[in-house]
Amino acid sequence: MSNIEKPVYLEEKLEEVQESGRLDYRSKSLPTWCPGCGYFSIVEGMTAALNNLEIDPDETVVVSGIGCASRFPFFVNTYGFHTLHGRALPVATGIKVANDDLTVVVVGGDGDAFAIGGAHIPHAARRNVDMTYILFDNGIYGLTKGQTSPTSVLGFQTSTSPFENHDQPLNPLMMLLSYGASWVGQAYAGNPHHMADMIEQALAHKGFSYLHVLSPCVTFDKTTMTYKNLDMIVHPLPEDHDTSDVMAAMAIAQKTEAPALGCYFNEPRQTLNDGLDDIANRAQGKNEKPKKASQRQAAE
Amino acid sequence: MAKNGKKTTDMQFAICGSAGDGTIAAGDIMKRAMAKAGYKVIAFDVYPPEIRGFGKCISRIRITSDQVFSLKPLSDVLLSLDDSHAIPHVGEVKDYGAVVYEDMPVSVMAEGSHISGHLTSTQLPYGVPFRELSERVTSSARSRNIVAVGYLAGLYDMPRQVFYDTISDKFKTKPAALTRINIEAFDAAFDVGRNTFRLDEGSLNPPQKKSSSGDLVMMSGNGAVAKGCIDAGLDTFFGYPITPATTIMERLAIDLPKHGKRMMQTEDEISALSAAIGAGYAGARAATATSGPGFALMSEMMGLGSMAEVPAVIFVSQRGGPSTGMPTKTEQSDLNIAVFGAAGDGQRIVLAPTNVEGCYKCAGKAFEIAERYQTPVVVLLDLYLSNRYEAVEFPTKNPFKANCSKPPGKLKKGQPYHRYEITKDFISPRAIPGDKGYRHAITGLEHGENGRPNDTTHQQMSEKRHEKLNGVLRHPGIAMSKRFGDKGKVDVAIIGWGSTFGEILEAMIVARAEGITCTAMKVVLLSPLPMEPINAIFEDSKEVLVPELNYEGQFANLLMGATGRPVTRLNRVPGTPMHVEDILEEIRRLAGKKKGRGSLAAE
Repeated sequence: MSNIEKPVYLEEKLEEVQESGRLDYRSKSLPTWCPGCGYFSIVEGMTAALNNLEIDPDETVVVSGIGCASRFPFFVNTYGFHTLHGRALPVATGIKVANDDLTVVVVGGDGDAFAIGGAHIPHAARRNVDMTYILFDNGIYGLTKGQTSPTSVLGFQTSTSPFENHDQPLNPLMMLLSYGASWVGQAYAGNPHHMADMIEQALAHKGFSYLHVLSPCVTFDKTTMTYKNLDMIVHPLPEDHDTSDVMAAMAIAQKTEAPALGCYFNEPRQTLNDGLDDIANRAQGKNEKPKKASQRQAAE
Repeated sequence: MAKNGKKTTDMQFAICGSAGDGTIAAGDIMKRAMAKAGYKVIAFDVYPPEIRGFGKCISRIRITSDQVFSLKPLSDVLLSLDDSHAIPHVGEVKDYGAVVYEDMPVSVMAEGSHISGHLTSTQLPYGVPFRELSERVTSSARSRNIVAVGYLAGLYDMPRQVFYDTISDKFKTKPAALTRINIEAFDAAFDVGRNTFRLDEGSLNPPQKKSSSGDLVMMSGNGAVAKGCIDAGLDTFFGYPITPATTIMERLAIDLPKHGKRMMQTEDEISALSAAIGAGYAGARAATATSGPGFALMSEMMGLGSMAEVPAVIFVSQRGGPSTGMPTKTEQSDLNIAVFGAAGDGQRIVLAPTNVEGCYKCAGKAFEIAERYQTPVVVLLDLYLSNRYEAVEFPTKNPFKANCSKPPGKLKKGQPYHRYEITKDFISPRAIPGDKGYRHAITGLEHGENGRPNDTTHQQMSEKRHEKLNGVLRHPGIAMSKRFGDKGKVDVAIIGWGSTFGEILEAMIVARAEGITCTAMKVVLLSPLPMEPINAIFEDSKEVLVPELNYEGQFANLLMGATGRPVTRLNRVPGTPMHVEDILEEIRRLAGKKKGRGSLAAE
């Protein structure tokens, strides 16, 4: 699974891209990321996936928090909300609750998600809010110029860990699997075609889908999560992996020394808005006070 | 009491007991029944933060035939369900008022623990065997509180039917037999009360003729807020439980789904306002409700709402602070955080109703205003207002104009849509996700008219966010400030906000009766301040008094900063409402000062 198997010439690709309609999803603003940043390929993957699924850009909202990854909404041509550090998920939940018809995509980095925003992830996952969360994991705080993040490896030297990082990194896939996310997958920015496919699957999933993207920070991390290092260790999930088996998914997610790419877990269930509709139906149809949980169980 | 030849009623009961005695429930039956009978009622309960145990509960109920604005410092009757808690409150019974208590032989009680020993010679003791009566009729002591209410009702020969109706309502979801035995218990006690010797002081006269439209509904401040939300067409509500705001969420959890709308309990207050801002961005009418500690967590999102220009309504029922403070005690100390909270300049709208009817109005209008001016609106309540009950008559016609947003016009071909276009009134046409052809991204970063991050526009955009709020001062259908009492030049002006204004008004009425020329003004819009009427009242008054339930004088500071003139502060933080007498004393002192009689403090 190398990055580029054969040389690509701009002229022959350009026509193909223009005809595909993918550029309709691209903003006129040029990304502000460093050359070589993995996030460029995520924009490409996202526009390709939205285009393939024929999702109306007028009915799409991209929500982000704060960080390098969170500038994303400005670089796609949909509706977008660049919110506060760590608060993308609850804002996106509000958007989805307000309007069922919108396709809601949340993007963010590892610091935004697992440090300041950590309290919101379990609840978005357990409620099964019908949206897609794409997590750009570069294992570092890039926008503040290179400090440790909750996914930085042990021993990582940064400006705030000059004597090496001593904090055990989190395992995001394990977290999301145990939080009850109904779709969990992993992709790698150095493998853009596979990633575009994974984004497409995540968008197509009804319910909360979590896509973890390993994406090197070329500016502030020259030693750990580099393209070179990741190229050597990433590999596809076993072909016989059962995506309904959460224990099997967790066993693979434990092997952080060799990240497996693909869909770990996929089990659709009732979404938040379905539940809210059910509540409204009960409240209207029977015209009685909501029953207590114990009574409801007894009745069923 | 005779007024204009008509006999009027003005009586106040204090019911006091231990948590678990059914004290609050007894007060609830009394106030609802009297509102049903057509009286004006103001009621306020004080209870401990614990659910069970030995904490003190007091329910105070004032029943009148004319509109009043606060509770009285002295009650006509103190009804004790637990003497150990009631003894310290004997002093708040007026002369020739009554103390009603569980009749127990003095001999079995420890010295000083029998309430009858604490009465003054002018207070009348009524020892009643509540427990025995309850056990005789219902074979259980659990109806002791109903018995107590029945006795009180009998003592004043109140109409029985309204109590039957109220008790039936209360036990609606319980087995029918329970309603029956409780009504029997009520009746038995009523007869005892009726056949005992009468109080000379104060009697119940028939209520005033009912006004033409609608019934008087007994409602709490929080209940009125929930009703205002529903009538204004609230689409989504996100909340996190916190005393004393929880009852708003609990009410909406029932009412919103009935209207096909959505209520969601979030993981914390941060996500509650985040989700409301998200929903507001998506075009829904969205709200949350909290108290001080939760409001502190919401600060960052208020900033985002101001910056990204997203509507949302935040109800804040204040309690004692800072930090966790006093969860079940009232205070008005979140004014600063409401007006100034969050990073950067506080460009936002803050409303504060002064009574239960105002809660309804401010709640509904807050949605109009948030939508019109595209910004978060804070509605400041406090525990005293949230939990106090008043008999309110709601308008039969919905007074709120549900939709007053400013949608964008049709764009010319190739013309880009600018979310933050600077217009004449500084309000930009707002498109919402799903609108065809108006795609844009919004941000908490400073931005240009097109919404893209840009820090060269900060001066211009700050002006836009500031100036667009000026329209609120003239928002139709709500008085942003109102002056009562003497017109023109006065000796003393009392300026107030929130629940304390009831006491201010009562104090002003008494002061005027004493011959002091004075005026009172309530300020409903606390940000931006209605400077025109405020400057006018300063111009008219020799002295300005600002009573409020916080230690620092937050509103006084705000007024002094805005007008550049001195005020006299009156700050109390006992966790209970301000005493009318305290305000009155200060009015007298200020009026005396100007007349050269020397201040009371010197005497």
